[in-house]
This record gives sequence, structure tokens and C-alpha cells, in this order.
Amino acid sequence: MSTVTGKAAQTAKGPQGRATAKSPAAGPGASQGRQVRRKPLGRQNAAGWLFSTPFLVLFLVFMAFPILATLVMSFTDFGLRNVTHPLDAKFIGFENYVNLFGDDKFLRSLLNTGYFVVVGVPLTIGIGLLVAVLLNNGIDRARTFFRVGFYAPVVTTIVAVAVVWRFVLDPSDGLISGLFSEVGLTGPDFLGSEALAMPSMIAMAVWRNVGTVMVLFIAGLQAIPTEVREAARLDGTGVWAEFKGITVPLLRPTMLYATVITTIGYLNVFEEPFVMTQGGPSDSTLTVSLNMYREGFNFFHMGYASAMAYVLFVVIMAITVLQLRLLKDNTK
Amino acid sequence: MPRTARITVSAGIAAALAFGITACGGSGGDSVAADKKQTLTVWAMGAEGEKLADVAKVYEKAHPNVTVKVTPVGWDVAHQKLVSAAAAGTMPDVAQMGGSYMGEFSDLGVLEPVDTKTFDEKDYFPSGWSQGEVDGTAYGVPWYVDTRVLYYRTDLAKKAGITKAPTTWKEMQALATAYQKDAGTKWGLSIQPSGLDTVQNFYPFLYSAGGSIIDDKGKVVIDSPAAVKALKEYGSYFDKGLSNKSVQPGYDVVKDFGNGRVPMFFGGPWHVTLLDEGQPQLKGKWAVANVPADASSTSMAGGSSLVISKDSEHKAAATEFIKYLTGTEGQADWYKRTKDLPANTNAWTSGTLADDADLQVFKKQMDTAKASPTLSNLTEITDKVDQAIAKVTQGKASAEDALKTAQSQIESLVK
Repeated sequence: MSTVTGKAAQTAKGPQGRATAKSPAAGPGASQGRQVRRKPLGRQNAAGWLFSTPFLVLFLVFMAFPILATLVMSFTDFGLRNVTHPLDAKFIGFENYVNLFGDDKFLRSLLNTGYFVVVGVPLTIGIGLLVAVLLNNGIDRARTFFRVGFYAPVVTTIVAVAVVWRFVLDPSDGLISGLFSEVGLTGPDFLGSEALAMPSMIAMAVWRNVGTVMVLFIAGLQAIPTEVREAARLDGTGVWAEFKGITVPLLRPTMLYATVITTIGYLNVFEEPFVMTQGGPSDSTLTVSLNMYREGFNFFHMGYASAMAYVLFVVIMAITVLQLRLLKDNTK
Repeated sequence: MPRTARITVSAGIAAALAFGITACGGSGGDSVAADKKQTLTVWAMGAEGEKLADVAKVYEKAHPNVTVKVTPVGWDVAHQKLVSAAAAGTMPDVAQMGGSYMGEFSDLGVLEPVDTKTFDEKDYFPSGWSQGEVDGTAYGVPWYVDTRVLYYRTDLAKKAGITKAPTTWKEMQALATAYQKDAGTKWGLSIQPSGLDTVQNFYPFLYSAGGSIIDDKGKVVIDSPAAVKALKEYGSYFDKGLSNKSVQPGYDVVKDFGNGRVPMFFGGPWHVTLLDEGQPQLKGKWAVANVPADASSTSMAGGSSLVISKDSEHKAAATEFIKYLTGTEGQADWYKRTKDLPANTNAWTSGTLADDADLQVFKKQMDTAKASPTLSNLTEITDKVDQAIAKVTQGKASAEDALKTAQSQIESLVK
């Protein structure tokens, strides 16, 4: 929350300047902010700037500038022709944004992404937590083995993962359809059917991301002081009550963090459909990011794709703020 | 999070394209004569990129003043790399370009028109030449051509009681059914149900029925009765379970052809090499045939052209190099190295090219094959056709309805 306070302090004294600072309305935060500001740029500050210059340059060139350029572009009809003549792009106001909400394909991709998040996030968090608790308590000997096992998908490249999953899901000679044919049945066509393609994709994403969440939870679990647990056990608390009364509340900050980053990651989901289905069959796995990529780099509707990027940004922002509100308030 | 990083990178590329160094123009004036000492930069894609480096060495020996620097570029990144180069004004002197790119890049104004005094249209397959032509101006010299023909397993056909190649749609479907029923193959014919470039599998049907996406006058005709008929036929393979409904990006048909799961597919000339090298046990057990006919036996024409960058300072030497690559001798040599079909028809009259029976099948198909129109937004147009095909193969719409939708979508794209 430190950024918010800082910002509030700045606006409180910003335009009015010194006069406001003296008025009783300005709280302690404001005067503190002023003090920091008035401090002369000493040798220490200069060194600070010097050391952060490489980062700042990189940040400006590779983050701030593209972000701004994309915003500008989203208000133009930037297309293929403008690649060599960028200044010929026409300013068209909010046309791209208006068009987006009449674009069935975009709405479909938004819906698909929503599906992915709504099903994928709880599964990832739930299974991640379960695995973490199991690994933290039980099976002492094989712990490392299992940790590596669950974490391996996280560090494997997506292409390798896709090859493996394609084999697992292949309707004719895949692992799963092989099991079906063992008992004389025909296995489902996971990636070729509209109903199953997205669930298959979610399963793969969950498998891939559980490791990340698990590591976070294990760290969180180990931060819980053993005295608390011991005290509870001495009082005769059962396993379930301990989990509900101690583990879950004390894990809340971790839970919040894991949920937020998983949600953001899933809202951006791209690689899975890009590698596995190219958005098919019939757009049933077309996500916003994949749609954006295709509009931008296959069709060169750069302006339109940029507008899409900003809509996605606003959605992510809104959901993140909402999550922070909801989950944070509960801790009090 | 890698995903976030990727979005940032995309935005970065976009921004670089938007406000990038537009260094093009201005440098075209000082051209270097062909016999001066110089370095030619050449970009070629995929397997061609690897093999061209060998040819370049041969060429350098005969032309000691020229150093040819070949950069192989993967097909998957070729388009983006070329667009980025066009935006930044760093196009190579010579580049290989697929027919589908030509409209876009001539639109960007980065291509030098072909010197028609050096290169004569009459020497090349008509569909090869037309791929390099945009609005009546040639920008690319055809380097190699390809077309799709029918690959089928003769041994399995025999097992199913059929000894001759299918020549009509009816015979093809009968063979597919027989393969599945009597020879125990998993599928009857491998065609793509949906996904990018499905349309390439559809072209042999569409063109053979007498249809096309856009007619000679530039009118959109994808909802014509011929096109509907073609899509119905295409869709029937999925309805009847003769073709796989499942989308498999990166699917390798050669392997399944080898193990007999897939006994028929539409393939290009490169599949000959892939089968010879990858499935040697199949020798003598398969054959190629012309595309089974409806109104005619017409396949799609593909291939690549060679273009010279407008900004190049080595246009004279580049022209010489291309002259060698697309001349009779260079083309025959190239065929030997890559099995890419010569675009220059004169190269077909000698040696293997004149005698080989398989090649005659390609030659015959090539004479009538149709190239896609060179439009700047071709990718987007074919994407609409892909969507129509997907609707039909997944049983979501009738061929009529799917193509009607595609018609109106494409009409708004072709102005």
C-alpha cells in the first residue's frame, strides 16, 4: 500500500504547494512527503541515480515506450501499409474500441478466457495447496522427489510439454485412448472436439502451474511458527481443525499472492492454445492473447490489436483490484 | 511470468514497427556494378536456406568478385522477420518469397520490379509467374514451383481390391472407404479439418469443381455452386469418418502414411524426399496420381519467387545471381539438391526431369494448377475460408451457409 499513500501525499500538496502544507487539513503523511522532496540532491542520491540508470534506460526503452506507443496506436487504423510509413496511420478515435464490442470473435475469445480463468484458477490454487500441505506434513523420505516432480512442468519448455500432451491426448494412439481401447472403448477426441478442447487445455495449464503455486505455499507453510501448531496439538486439536484454524488463516497472504498471479497469468493465456490447437476447433480455444497475436501479426491490424491489448489490460487491472479488495478485507 | 514478458515483447515489436527507424529510401542511388567486388545478402527459408549456402559456394567460384552471404530463415518466423526488415529498411539484397507474401510486400513498396528484359515470362510456368505478379507488374522471378498431387498406398489398395489410381471424386471416396473397410486402415484420406492453412487442403477440391475464392475480375465467388459442391465433398470425408476431425498442429502425415494409418494424402513434391528418406521400407508401395477430377483435375500452385529489395545497392549483381538460379542449368542443379520443381519449363526437358514417371505427374498437374491471387490481405481472406471449412467439418453449419458467411466477410475485405 505504500505507493497509494505516497501518491495521496503528493496530490494533497501538489498544486497548492506550501500553503496547503501549513493548513490543518494536511495530515502527517503530507508533511513527511514534503520533507523527502525538499532534501537536496546530495552525493548519495546522485549515486543512486547513477546505479539505477541502466535499469531506467532499459525500462524506458523496452517497457514505458512500447506501452505508450501501443496506447497511441490503439487510436489509429495502423495496418500493414504503415509498417513502412508509420506517420500515415489515421487517427480514428475510439473506433477500434467500439468495433471490438461488436466483434463476435473478440467476444468469443473474452468468454473463452473467462472460462479458462474461472475453472483454472480455483483448480490450480486448490491442488497446489493440497500438494503443498501433503508434502509439508507427510512422506518425509520422498519429499524432494515429489517436489521436483511437481515443479518439473514449470521449468519445462512449452513445446516439449505440448509434444508430450499431444501424445497423451491423441485420439488414435494416445496414452488415454490407449487405456480406453484396452477395455474395448473408443477414447474421446480431446483436442478435436469443441466441448473437450478447452477442458483439456485447462488440465494442461493446471498441471503446468501447480508447481509454482505449490512452492509458494510450501514457503508459506514453513513460515508458520511451529509453536503455534504445537500449542494447538497440546490442546488436542484435530488435523482438520488445525488446517482450518491455523493453516488457512496464516496462509492468507500467500493465498492472495498466488491467486492474483495465477489469475493474471491465466488471463494472458497464450502458449497452450497457440501450440496445441491454434484456437480451434471453431474458435473454441481462441483466447484474447491468441486473438490479439493473430490480429496483430497475421493480419497486421496493429491498431485493432493494440486496442485489444488495452481492453485486456483494463480487465486484468479490474480483476486484480477486486481480488485484492475481497481477499484482503477477509484477513481482518 | 513468461506470459507477461511475451506480451511486452509483442508490444515492443509493434512499437518498433510503428516508430522504428524508417531508413528506407534515399540509398537507392549509388548502385554497385555487377563486376565490382561486393557482398550479396540473401535470405532463404526452411530447407532452401540450408541448401542455398552450398549453391552460393559454387557460384562464388565462378564469380570471385561476389561473396554471397546466405541467411537461412525458418518458415515460421519468415513473415515477421521480413516485415520487421521492411519496416527498419534492412531488407536483404535478395530474398526468397512465397506467393502469398507478394501482395503484401509490393504494397509496402520494398520490392524492385523484375527486369523483364533479362527474365522472360514465357520461360516459366504461368502459375509460377503469376505468383510474382501484382497488378500486372512482376516483382518476383519464379524460383521453384510446387503443386499438390495425390499420394496413395498401392500395397494397401491392392489388399482392398483396387489396382488403379482414383481419377474422379467418386473413385477417390470409394478407395478411401475400401482402405478403411478392407485394408484396415485407421483413416481413408488425410485432409485437415480446421486450423491455419486448411484451405490448402481444400484447393484441389475447390479448383477441380471449377470454383475459386476470387475470380479473374476480382469478384468474390466463394459461395458459387461449384464451391458449395466442393465443400460438401470435403465435408463428407469427416461425416463418414474417413478423415480425422481432430486438429493437430504440427502433424506429420509422413509417419502415418508409413505405418498405414493414413493411406492417402495430398502432398507436394517435397514429400517424395521425405518418404524416401524417412520411410525407406515403403519403397515401391506407394505412388502419386493427379488430383481426382470433378469438372477438371486442377490443383493449387505454390512455390517461391526471388525478389530484389528496392533499397539494395547491389541490384546488378543480384540480378546476375537470380539469373543463374532460375536459368536452365541452375534449375536442374537445384532440383538435384532439393527435389524442388523447377519453375523454368526449359529445365524439364533433360535428364531425370524428362524421364521420371512420378515427375511427369507433377508436370502434368503443374500445367493446369492455379495460384492464389496476390492480394495484400490474402492471409485474412483465406482465414475466412478456413473458418467456413471448420464449421462444415465440425458439423456446425451446412456448406451453403458457411460459404455465404465467408462470401460476405471476404467481400468487405476486398475493396
